[in-house]
Amino acid sequence: MQKHKLKIKNRKFLTFCFLVIILTFLFCVFNLGKVHAQQVTLSISPPLLETVIKPGKSIMIAYKIENLGDPVILRTKILPFEPQGELGGIKIKDEFEGPVRFSLDNANLQLDQPFFLKSRSSQQILLRIRIPEGAPRGDYYYTLLAETDPPPTTEGIMSSRTRTTIGTPILITVTDTGNVDINGRIGFFDVLPSYQLSLFGHHLRIFDSGDKIPVVAIVENTGGNLIKPRGEIVLRGNFGEKAKYNILPQNILSRSQRMLTATPSATVDCQENNKSKYCQRPISLLISGFFIGLYTLSTTIYFGEGSPNIYASTSFIAFPIKLLIGLGIVVIVTFIIVKRLRDIEE
Amino acid sequence: MRNSFGIFLVFFTCLACYLLNAVPLDAVNMQSPLYRIQFGNINIGADNLSSEGAKLSITMGQLAAEEFETNGYIIKAGFQYIHSIIPFTFSVSNTNINLGTLTPNMPSTDSTTLTVSFGGAGRYSVTAIEEHALQLQSGLYKIDDTICDGGGNTCYEGLAKPWTSNNAYGFGYNMSGDDVPSDFINATYFRPFADKSQGESPVVVMESDNVGKRRQATATFKVNVSPVQAAGTYQTVINFVATPSY
Repeated sequence: MQKHKLKIKNRKFLTFCFLVIILTFLFCVFNLGKVHAQQVTLSISPPLLETVIKPGKSIMIAYKIENLGDPVILRTKILPFEPQGELGGIKIKDEFEGPVRFSLDNANLQLDQPFFLKSRSSQQILLRIRIPEGAPRGDYYYTLLAETDPPPTTEGIMSSRTRTTIGTPILITVTDTGNVDINGRIGFFDVLPSYQLSLFGHHLRIFDSGDKIPVVAIVENTGGNLIKPRGEIVLRGNFGEKAKYNILPQNILSRSQRMLTATPSATVDCQENNKSKYCQRPISLLISGFFIGLYTLSTTIYFGEGSPNIYASTSFIAFPIKLLIGLGIVVIVTFIIVKRLRDIEE
Repeated sequence: MRNSFGIFLVFFTCLACYLLNAVPLDAVNMQSPLYRIQFGNINIGADNLSSEGAKLSITMGQLAAEEFETNGYIIKAGFQYIHSIIPFTFSVSNTNINLGTLTPNMPSTDSTTLTVSFGGAGRYSVTAIEEHALQLQSGLYKIDDTICDGGGNTCYEGLAKPWTSNNAYGFGYNMSGDDVPSDFINATYFRPFADKSQGESPVVVMESDNVGKRRQATATFKVNVSPVQAAGTYQTVINFVATPSY
C-alpha cells in the first residue's frame, strides 16, 4: 500500500517536473529575439568642429562614436573636403592633402586601423590636430569619417553589400597673428515673383495679395577664411508697415557661396506638397501675409567686429489679382445674363 | 536522493534559461585607470515627455542649473544645456542586400532603410556610390548599371526615370521616403549608382536643410539580367556616407 502511494507521489513529481521544463522551454522559445539582417546605427559627436590655430601648435579634440546597432568593425580616417553648391553641401576628396597633421592620442587606436565596437557601446576618439611650423596661413577643411567594414561575401548569393560611413566636418583656420581675411559680398538678393513684367527697362515683380513671398539671399565669400554672416532682412510697405527677419549665422567657406536662412519664416511641407511653387527651389525666407501696394525688401549683413556692413535691396508689387479676375468674370457673366434676360423680355 | 537530484535539475534548468534571457543592465561607470570620481554630481533622472501639442524634456540632479550673465560673458550651466547637443546619427537597416537567384527577364529587388537623426540646426546629406558594377569575384563578367527603359526614359546617376520593362537589363536603385531627390517620382523610377571605379563622384540620395529627427528613406535595389548573362555570384559594395553640413 505504502509502495503504491510512493509510486503515485513519484508520478506526480515527474509530471510537475515535466510541466516546469516544458513551460520554461516555451518561455525561452517565445522570448527569443527576432532574427533580423545586420543593422548599423552609428552616432558621432560633436557634429562640427571649428578652430583657429597658430603654426607650430597642436590641439586635441575628443570625439565620441557610439554604436547603437549590431556589433561592427570600424575604422576612422580623415579626408579633405570642398564646399559643393550653395546650400552647404560637401564633396569629400578621395586622397588626403594639405599641411595639417592628424593622429590619435588613444593608446590602442590609430587612424585607418580597424577596431571592434560592440552593440550599445561607444569609443572615444582623441584626435590630435597639429599644424607644422611654416604651414601657409589659410583655411583647411577636413572630415573625420568612421566607416564600417562591409559584411563578408556569401558564395552563391548575389548581393550588394553596404558600407556605412558617418562623418563630421573639421574647419581649421591657420593664422600667425590672429588676423583673418574676411571678405564677402551679396551674390544674389531677390524675390521669386509669381509674375514678372518688363517696363521701360525696369523689371516689375508682381505677386497676388494672398501669395507667400519667397526671398533668396546668397552671400559669396571672396576672402581666404571662412565667414559667418549675421544681419537682417527688412520688409517695408508703402503704408509705413515694417517687418524684420533675422539671418541665421552659418559658415560660408573660403572662395564659396552659400544661401542664407532667415527667421521667422513661413513653412511649406514639401514632402506632402512637392509640386508647390515654393518647393521648386530652396529659398532663404518665405513671408506670409496679405500684401497690397509697393513693398521694399532690404538686407544688411556684417561679418563680425570691424567688418563693414554690406547692403542690398529689391522691391515688388502686390495686388489682389485673383480677386480682380474673379470679380471681372462675375461682372461679365452677370452682364451677359442680364442682357439675355432683357432680350427675352423684349 | 533521486527526488533531490530531480529538483536540482529542474531549478538549474530554469535558472539557466532565465539567466540566458536576462536583459543586460546599464550602469554609470565613475572610474578609469587614471581617474576616480567620488561623490560626482549625477543626472539622476531625465526624460522627453510629450502630450498633444506640447513637448517637455526634463533633467534632474544638477546643482545650480541656470543661465548666468555678466558683462561680456554668458554661462549656461546645467545638464539641460548639454541636452540640446544631440549627436548626428545614421542608421542602415540591412547591410547585406540579398538579390537572390536571378532568372533572366525577371527583375529581383531588395531594400534597406536609411535613417538620419540630427538635433543641430543645419543641413545634412547622405551620398551613395558603388565601388564597381555588380561583377564576379574574378572580375571577368559584370552586370552593367541600368539605363532604365532607355529612349526617352534613359536614366543616369543624377536623374531617375521609369524602369518597368523586363527587357531592360542592369542594376539600379529607387529612393522613397523623407528628404529624397524629387526625381524619384514613384516606385518605378530608378537611377544607376555612381561608379567609383570609373572615377565618378558620390551622388546625394537624402538631404535636408531642416532639423531632422528620424528622417527615414528606403533604398530599393533592383537587378534584371538577360538570358545571355554568364552564371555566377555577382557582388558589389555600396558606400552610404552621411555627413552634417558645416
